[in-house]
Order: sequence, then structure tokens, then C-alpha cells
Amino acid sequence: MDWHVLQLVLWLIAGIVSFYFSIGNARVWTSIAVGFGLIVIGELLPQAIPYLPGVGVPRIEAMSYIVGTISILVMSHGFQEYYVFSRTLEFEGNKGMVYLSTIGVIAASVVFVFVNPLPDKRTLDIIRVVENTNWVFLSLINIDLIRKIYANIKDSPISKGFIAFIVVFLFIFLWRGSELYIQVYHFTDPEVGMAFPFRFQLSQICSEVGNFLAGVSVGGTFLYLARLLR
Amino acid sequence: MILLPRGNPVKENIDPGKVNLPDALMKLHKGNFTGYLRFDTTQGVGILIYDKGRLISALFEGGTRREIAYDAIALIFERSLAGGATLNIYRLSSELAMSIHALLHGEVLYRGQEVKLLDIRALLGKLKEDQITGCLRIYTADRVALIFYREGNPLGFFHDGSTDLEKTAENSMSVAKLPGAKIDVLTSKISEEAAMADLLASADTVAIWQKAQEAVARERRAREEEAARTLEEREKERRQKIVGLLKGVAEKHLGKIGGQLADKEFDKALNGQGVVSEAVLDDFYKRIGQAAKLVAGPSTVKAMLEDMQRGIKALLKA
Repeated sequence: MDWHVLQLVLWLIAGIVSFYFSIGNARVWTSIAVGFGLIVIGELLPQAIPYLPGVGVPRIEAMSYIVGTISILVMSHGFQEYYVFSRTLEFEGNKGMVYLSTIGVIAASVVFVFVNPLPDKRTLDIIRVVENTNWVFLSLINIDLIRKIYANIKDSPISKGFIAFIVVFLFIFLWRGSELYIQVYHFTDPEVGMAFPFRFQLSQICSEVGNFLAGVSVGGTFLYLARLLR
Repeated sequence: MILLPRGNPVKENIDPGKVNLPDALMKLHKGNFTGYLRFDTTQGVGILIYDKGRLISALFEGGTRREIAYDAIALIFERSLAGGATLNIYRLSSELAMSIHALLHGEVLYRGQEVKLLDIRALLGKLKEDQITGCLRIYTADRVALIFYREGNPLGFFHDGSTDLEKTAENSMSVAKLPGAKIDVLTSKISEEAAMADLLASADTVAIWQKAQEAVARERRAREEEAARTLEEREKERRQKIVGLLKGVAEKHLGKIGGQLADKEFDKALNGQGVVSEAVLDDFYKRIGQAAKLVAGPSTVKAMLEDMQRGIKALLKA
């Protein structure tokens, strides 16, 4: 099986599992699950571009990167909410608002992309860099936040699920960090790649392996959470 | 305990708390009453002695406390208003009233001597020899008789139902023959009628009555407050036990955060109410059930709620 196809299958499973999880569980999980679920759109959209007739391809690609950015923002917001809950034991809001807000932000992004000039390669590269930067730094912040959440709810039934999330974000950091590295140092250019073959190879491997492991761990984590929250 | 024969009853078993005592005392004054009023209260016995409408003596004895005159009147008023008191009014002759007054303010030479173990003859001889003025009080649990002496010579006898000093010893001595009869020897100092002041003339009984009413109201308030405090403390203790149980169960199922959640949700459910009612508990179960979903699954939450309900049921039954 093709490596990318396997990655897509894994992300598809992870996305479905996390969306399903967001429906059946407490409100506090909605943002986190929706955030992870959105990754699948960010991952699938670029692959689906050739099969989407009548739509300006660069705009679809731009949207996939933006949805990717929205996904890490939404899940980080979810972890922040959980952290606040674990500290104050207070929790507000409802699931509907999370879904509506996320759809609203995505819709606003679509409007933004369509009212602006058709993105060229440079624009797309920048949007991609912005997306990966968000992922890299928010992954690190989330790892610290999840560590604190774990400390607060250490002996609860769900606590081990948060250790799994730390593992997830470590893989995501590896995946998105190596992609950011590739973009920043322009390893997408074969000439640069040939000039630094080891770095090029290593960053490519890290990106692919990170992507694969992140996909596996996200799906696995939500299945594990579902088991813990039976 | 003041032991006096009952005299000729005018009124018996009245609740003095329901009587305006200053008015009643004034009526007795106006009616030239001679006799005594006996107040049996929860904290002692009060005696008011009238002679021809003059309140010549007031005494209150209870435990180690002994009050006379105005203080005794005040205490009689207070204890009457406090409730649980009985008032008996007995008519006596003037001589007997004075004798009783002298007796109540006299001294006890011997107390509680068993009649059976006593050489009565020798005792009477001793009284004569010492020229004692006073009386012999012979009593059992429910009967009392007095034999008055002046300078060693017997004056007369006073027993239940008498209004005057009697000259026959029959009734009085029959008390001495009863099983368990005891004898006290008392001396009296005061006997001059002229020296007896009318307490009603010098005391403002209405003011004393009002003061007593205030004191009793204060006492009642304090008692009610104390009762409320006790109730509150009991409820607080019960509340703490309930919270302790709920926290313990929540911690068992959800870990440390479970205990914290139980504490917080209980406070919210209680919402400042002092009493943990069924409604409060139902609200708590609902709240903790929702909060617990953030850290545990439905089966764990269900098991926790069942444990809580079982525990509370057992606790409230105990």
C-alpha cells in the first residue's frame, strides 16, 4: 500500500473516531475532538483537489491549510478549557456553540479566501508556514498544558488518556516541526536537497514518520479514551 | 425543700405563670388575708406569708440558694413566669402565720433525725431545759406536722388541714408513727408582730413583676437561641457527615478531583440552605453526575451515584 494512502486512511479513521467521540461525550471534549477531527479535512482536501471540479485549485489548497490552522486552535482552546476545569471545577457552554463557532470560523475563512486574489505559490507557501508554525508552537504549549491537567486529575479514570495526548502531540511536533523545517530551509527545492542530503533525508523521514505516528496515535488515543469513558 | 403543713386550702394547684401575681397579691392584701402562698417551682420553693392582709414574709429556697424579702418576691415571680410552677394558697390563723414566719427565718438545730431512733422524751426534756423557742417538725414524704414551743413550753400543734394552733397532739403525733418519719428541731428568733413590716407597702411589686417578665423573656430567648444553636450544630454535624461520605465515594470512583467536585457541587446544591433535604441531595446527584462525566464514563458515574445513594440511605437511617 502507498505510504500516503496509508496515512490518509489513518487520518480518516482518527477523524471519524474523534468526531464520533465529540458527539457522545461531555461538552469539554467537544473542542478537543472537533479540533482533531478537522485535521482530516486539512489532510484530505489537498489530496482530493484533482477530483474537485469547477473550484479554483489554489483556493482549495489555501482552505486546507487554513482549516489545519483552525483545527490546532480549536483543540488548543479545548485543552485550555479542560485545564481551567481541572483547576476551578467550573465549566460552561454547550456543544452546539462549539460546532457553530467552528463552522462560522471556517465559513469566514472561505469568504476571506474567495474575496481575495487567487493565491499564488508564494501565498500558499506562507499560509502553509503559518499553519505549521501554529502547530509546532501550540503542540509544545499543549504538551505543557496536558502535563498540568494530568497532575490535577492524576488518579481519575480519564487521567491516562492525557498521557496518550502528550504522546500524540510529541508525534505532531515531530511531523509539523520537520515540515516547517523543510519549508523554512527550502528543502522542497531539489537543488537545496542535493546540497544537504542528510538533512533533507532526515527531515523527510521525520515528517512522514511523524505524520504516520500522529495519525495512528490520534485514532488510538480516542479509542482508548472511549474505552476509559465507557 | 420547705416543709410546711398544708393548712386550710383556699386554692390549690394553680399555675402562677397564668396569674397576674401583683394583682393577686394586692387582692389578698385588700381581703385581709392571713395564711401563706406556696410556690413549688422547678428551681425551688417560694413562700409568701400574709398576716391580716400584710405580706410579712417572703422566702425562696432552692438548692443552695436562699432569698428573702424583695429578692424572694422577684425570684418567685421569675420562676412562676418561667413555667412548670404550682401555687397553693392556705388560710391560717394570725398566730400560726406568725409562727410559721418565725420558723422559716429561724435556725435548724437538728435535721432529719429518724423518729424511731430518737428518745423523744429526752428531746422534749432538753427543749424545756434549754428553754427553746421554736418548733419540732415531724414529717414523712407526704405529711408534715409542727409542734411549736415558746421557751421550752409547747404552744400548740399544726398539721395538714389546720387553720389554727391546735391543742391536741393526736394528728401531729400520728405523723411520728408513720414509717420513715423524721424530725427537725428549729429555733425561731422573730416573734413580735409589731416588728413585721408589710412588704407590699415598701415593694413596687408591679415593677418587680415587669422586671421578672423581662428576665424570663430574656431567659426564654436565650434558651431558644441555645436550642436553635444546638439544632444548627447538629445539622452542621449531619451535613459534615453527609459531605464526608459523598466526598469519600467520589474520591473512590473519580480520584482526588472527585472529592473536590463532590465538595463544590454539594455547596451549589445546598445553596445556603441549612438543612440537607431530599431535594438538595437530588440536585447534588444531578450535578455531580454531570460534572463526573468530564473525568469518567457513564458506567463509573452510575456506580458512583449508586454507592452515594446507598451510603446516604444507611447514614440517614443510623
